[in-house]
Amino acid sequence: MKITKALITAAGPDQRKLPLQTLIDRDRTQRTVLEILINEIKSAGIDEIGIVIQAEDEKSFEQVLEHNSYSTVRFIHQNKKPGYGQALLSAEKFLNNESFLHLVGDHLYVNRSGQNIARQLIELAEKHKCAISTVQSTRENRIGNYGTVKAERLQGEPSLFQITRVHEKPTPTFAEQHFMVPGLRAGYYLCFYGMHVFTPLLFELLAKKAVDFPDKKLGLSESLDELSKRSRYLALEKNDSRYDIGLDYGLLKAQLALSLSGKDRDYVLSELLQFFVEKDLNNNCGNR
Amino acid sequence: MSKLIEIIISSDPEIRNQSLGSAISGKTTAELLQECGQLEKFRSNSNNLYHKVRALFFLYAIHRFHILTASKIGSTAITPFKAYEHIINRRFEEAIKILLDVQNEKGINEGLSSSLADAYHKLAFQTLADQVKRSVRTTPGNNWMFRIGHPGDHPLKFRKELLRKDENSGLFPLLAEKTPVRMDLTHSCWSDIFFLGMDYPDGAQVLNISVDLCISGTSGKPIPPIETYLRVIDEPVIRLVSTDLETTADIQFIPEIFDFAKDYLGLLKAALIASGIVPPGMEGVELPVSVLLEKIIGPGLGLELVSQVNNIPKGSRLAVSTNLLASLISLCMRATGQTCQPDGVLEEEERRLVAAKAILGEWLGGSGGGWQDSGGVWPGIKMIKGCKATENDPEFNISNGKLLPNHTILTVQDVSAETKQKLQDSLVMVHGGMAQDVGPILEMVTEKYLLRSEKEWIARQKALTYFDQVIYFLKLGDIRKIGEITQNNFNGPIQDIIPWATTAYTERIIEKTKSEFGDNFWGFWMMGGMSGGGMGFIFNPEIKKEAQDWLLKTMLLIKKEMEAAVPFAMDPVVYDFKINEKGTFATLTDDEKALLPAKYYTLTLPRLLKKELSELSACRKSELQALSKSQKMKGSYNLFVSGLFERMIPDSKAEGQKKQDLKELLENYGFNTTLHETVKSALKSGQIGLAQNRLRTGVKISDSDAGTIENIEPNLKDSLFKTGKTALQNGELAIVTLAGGIGSRWTKGAGVVKSLHPFSKFAGKHRNFIEIHLAKNKKAANNYNVPLPHIFTTSYLTHQPIKEYLTPNGRLNNGTVYLSPGQFIGLRLYPTERDLRFYWEELSRQTLDEQAQKMRESLHNALIQWAKSNGEAENYTDNLPQQCIHPVGHWFEVPNLIINGTLLKLLETNPNLKYLLVHNIDTLGANADPVLLGYHIQNKNSVSVEVISRWIDDRGGGLAKVDNKPRLVEGLSLPHEKIEFELSYYNTNTFWISIDPLLAVFKLTLSDLPNQEKVRNAIMELARQMPTYVTLKEVKKRWGKGQEDIYPVTQFEKLWGDMTALSELKTGYLHVTRRRGQQLKEVAQLDGWLRDGSAAYIEELCEWE
Repeated sequence: MKITKALITAAGPDQRKLPLQTLIDRDRTQRTVLEILINEIKSAGIDEIGIVIQAEDEKSFEQVLEHNSYSTVRFIHQNKKPGYGQALLSAEKFLNNESFLHLVGDHLYVNRSGQNIARQLIELAEKHKCAISTVQSTRENRIGNYGTVKAERLQGEPSLFQITRVHEKPTPTFAEQHFMVPGLRAGYYLCFYGMHVFTPLLFELLAKKAVDFPDKKLGLSESLDELSKRSRYLALEKNDSRYDIGLDYGLLKAQLALSLSGKDRDYVLSELLQFFVEKDLNNNCGNR
Repeated sequence: MSKLIEIIISSDPEIRNQSLGSAISGKTTAELLQECGQLEKFRSNSNNLYHKVRALFFLYAIHRFHILTASKIGSTAITPFKAYEHIINRRFEEAIKILLDVQNEKGINEGLSSSLADAYHKLAFQTLADQVKRSVRTTPGNNWMFRIGHPGDHPLKFRKELLRKDENSGLFPLLAEKTPVRMDLTHSCWSDIFFLGMDYPDGAQVLNISVDLCISGTSGKPIPPIETYLRVIDEPVIRLVSTDLETTADIQFIPEIFDFAKDYLGLLKAALIASGIVPPGMEGVELPVSVLLEKIIGPGLGLELVSQVNNIPKGSRLAVSTNLLASLISLCMRATGQTCQPDGVLEEEERRLVAAKAILGEWLGGSGGGWQDSGGVWPGIKMIKGCKATENDPEFNISNGKLLPNHTILTVQDVSAETKQKLQDSLVMVHGGMAQDVGPILEMVTEKYLLRSEKEWIARQKALTYFDQVIYFLKLGDIRKIGEITQNNFNGPIQDIIPWATTAYTERIIEKTKSEFGDNFWGFWMMGGMSGGGMGFIFNPEIKKEAQDWLLKTMLLIKKEMEAAVPFAMDPVVYDFKINEKGTFATLTDDEKALLPAKYYTLTLPRLLKKELSELSACRKSELQALSKSQKMKGSYNLFVSGLFERMIPDSKAEGQKKQDLKELLENYGFNTTLHETVKSALKSGQIGLAQNRLRTGVKISDSDAGTIENIEPNLKDSLFKTGKTALQNGELAIVTLAGGIGSRWTKGAGVVKSLHPFSKFAGKHRNFIEIHLAKNKKAANNYNVPLPHIFTTSYLTHQPIKEYLTPNGRLNNGTVYLSPGQFIGLRLYPTERDLRFYWEELSRQTLDEQAQKMRESLHNALIQWAKSNGEAENYTDNLPQQCIHPVGHWFEVPNLIINGTLLKLLETNPNLKYLLVHNIDTLGANADPVLLGYHIQNKNSVSVEVISRWIDDRGGGLAKVDNKPRLVEGLSLPHEKIEFELSYYNTNTFWISIDPLLAVFKLTLSDLPNQEKVRNAIMELARQMPTYVTLKEVKKRWGKGQEDIYPVTQFEKLWGDMTALSELKTGYLHVTRRRGQQLKEVAQLDGWLRDGSAAYIEELCEWE
């Protein structure tokens, strides 16, 4: 099993413009979210990158990438039907029945160790010859935003789990009944981190779902749940920061995380400090 | 190893299921105490919950039913007040430690043993309740709600479907849930009580059926009796509405959600909490609900939750409140995405979750039934069985069984459609009209199970075989056989375990039904906690309609005959029913039809119509527009408008009639307006009140010494007997039974005649208090061959019913039975906040379990507001006239004999009469005992008072030395409650009185008796010298469909025991046995009274008609 391709999805109705948002990267360079993601993928040794977008967004995406040498990036138009699963199915031809790295276009990953998470994920997938997703221990009040997994720890592999069940955005009531993972703090669950390596079996499952339920929006989690039952499917727990820039203040948080882990750390910290001191001073004056 | 410990820990059922009684039979008190010592050590060290609990029940039962009843163990007051304080504050372990230290130092005695029994009993139930609480909280799906402590962390979101307003009508979609109620075809002897099911899952099983209902004879067809509604509103509040209880509230702040008893919306609040919309972890968060609503619904939005119970009265035994709670929880879960679908039926896993959350909701509300109660959530007929806890369950290694049972829905292959139809064609479901509190019954069942009392254990095993038989015959479709089994179950196991499950009312209905329908009546079917409310009668289907009509008429007739004596909440009704094959079911309406039921608008429109249009929210305006079109279209506009007018302009005639009746009652029964006004203003000004009942400080109160108390020694008995017997045979004694009181504690203020309540079976028949007293009289009269005059004192409430009861039997005319009508009444007042606070906050009272205590405190606040808004110390007139007035204490009952001429009449027909035996109606052991009469005569006492050794529950004063003079003191007058614990003897309120010295105290002689004015003046003169106590009593107010509210009201009383303070009356004190002296004040006492042999003792004293 050799991973040579990566796929970014950016066609969701609420996330179409998110990858085009500009941030200051750790090295003080202005980059779009998309560019940061592509850099992450490239550093993992992958050159063939597909981005699933809505057809009408192609120009905007091209404009973002035209100044850079991203010659191996291909835009793939989401087919007419809605759903995350359909976005992946749209790329079936590009992926050509190969396992691939997948990142969502509205998440940013900031690791503390400097290690490339995408590369780590690819290495593990190649080693274990199976699908693998990054997951993060997430407090129950936030699991309504993410796909959540039930998993069992792998002996001798501290951060690796075998996934046995997947559910999209569960309520804490449901999670507590079915998604408790031994060893996690009470009220914490393993939720997707937005980075995966999928095998071609996923396409088989997605395609079947699309045929069986033609009128239903094709999600991904149901097929992943089936994947966990049909084949070995691992989870890599990462405690690095993941920022969903689609949430309230998501972009701001991602920017702060990048800045505070890069060259401008001291500058941003002192600016923040200044902000709080002034706010405090104003308040005190007001109180007098 | 102690045999008892072996029984507790044995895995062999033969050993484990042995009864305590058989294991300790024949042991002496010393041996029993030794067993207690070992059990105490065992339970302190045991980690197993049920070992602990069973040991605690053994300890309780050894003290309560063996040590206390076996032999004389002394009565000196040695129970430390500190131990009592620990008990009432639920620090049972601390209390037990102190009590055992005293036992080690001074030995056991009655007060100490009763205190230990009480502490062990309460600790046992507390331990069980804690475990259920833990299981409920840790049930997956409930646990997270206790971790969410701030709205900012709220993880739930409303479904998008509910937020989409209909463009045409401007209405938010309406989510509606319809839920059936449940009935239990097998009644496996309350086996679904949590404590029982969790220890004995194999024996916990029921056959539970979901049913739709309607009142028979009305035009409707059976429908799910419970309807609940939820919708988003464009105001940032939580609006709660109960259409059947006619209450609405707009909740603005989070703490209001946790204030359950503030109004009638407690169930709706519990549903919001248990479903996680306002998670229990948020209790104590002082924030507006808008903060929470913004997070889960959206800015500026709120939610409205509406409940409606269609014509099912309270006490139906159909678990209406649990299923209503489950319906509301299901609705809230659907709205917040905790179910797969917003509408339709629930999946099995979701049903179980709803049931678990309903248990949580009930616990939050301080109540709780059994685990089958939420059966209406499931469809059709289902078998519910307890299941063993396994490794992955939170209960594993703690209890044998799991909190939640397994439900198996019976399919068409199990029970055919034809059989279901047959069942529907045969069964007549009724509500007999009684609404009783079944809480004590559930405790009794648990206790008897854990003690494995022999008779009850055999009964439970028998009931299990009935369960199998019902299933078998249901599969065969033989309904007649099922009727036979349910009847046998009622006659056998059910009553063997809980004799109080039947009532005289139920038995009379069954008897009449049998004689009316003979072979066509196939059997009685007991439903729920006890009979008298919801009940079933199985008939030959050919006569079902006839039987329905006849049953309604007959129940009404019997109710009319018994209603003066038995507390009915409403008139009986007969239902039509249908098996519900869906279970709870929801629909989502998202167009102009998204309107609430008509009753909702009848309730809410009057207030809305008073508002300016500009004050109404956009949605309200749209709703009213949609409503006007909708009602007109449906053609029910006129009906709706008339309902609306009825609500807006109440019937003033009925109110006027009520006032007139009260006025007449006051005029006819000796109400003294001037005195009343004086007392009222003194109460208002704070001159009198509960706190002022207490004796002045500086009074020295101590326990009576040995010289004060007379214990009749065996060697004196013969001589005393002879003296007493001679007096009896000479016609020197008459018995006076005080039957003018209203037995507030017996029925919690229901205002029925306690003396006529057929409360227990003697010689195979339910008997009332009067019947028992007359039977004792008959036996004494036959023994001594002399008629014994018997006087029953009466009051405005009791006179007519007692007269009507005694007249047909000719007893009133046989020259021995007399009635002495009361001459004085008082008018009740709304209490003052000062007295309520003193009563609830200053006086010590048993703290309840955590949630129940919160409910109580919430209720107290609501009642204080009720008193203030009605006017403190103002006349209480907001009830039936008889419920607004009160007798003015038993001090007047003996003087009444003199004023109303009864004594004169007695003396005329019994010229030798010299002595009166005066006792309370509920002191069943009091009889014309010649030994005691002999003591009274030989000691030349004016008054001889019977006292008993004090047990921990005997509160209300006793025998004391006040400034060195022995006398009875009322608990109300003690400067500190602690003093009561230093008094060894409790007043039974039984007095032997010599007539001449008594008259002398009133400054009267026998010759004065015909002079009514002189007599009245003399009595009033002494009355003025006697202390008047301000008391708080409970009074029930009935409303709606079987609903009852209990209010505290203020009244004034003078009490006979204070006569012992008069130095002119030579008073002696006799120590009598508890069996003779105990009073039955509360229904909850009955089981212990029956089990400890007291009832058998009474039966020995009687000779029945």
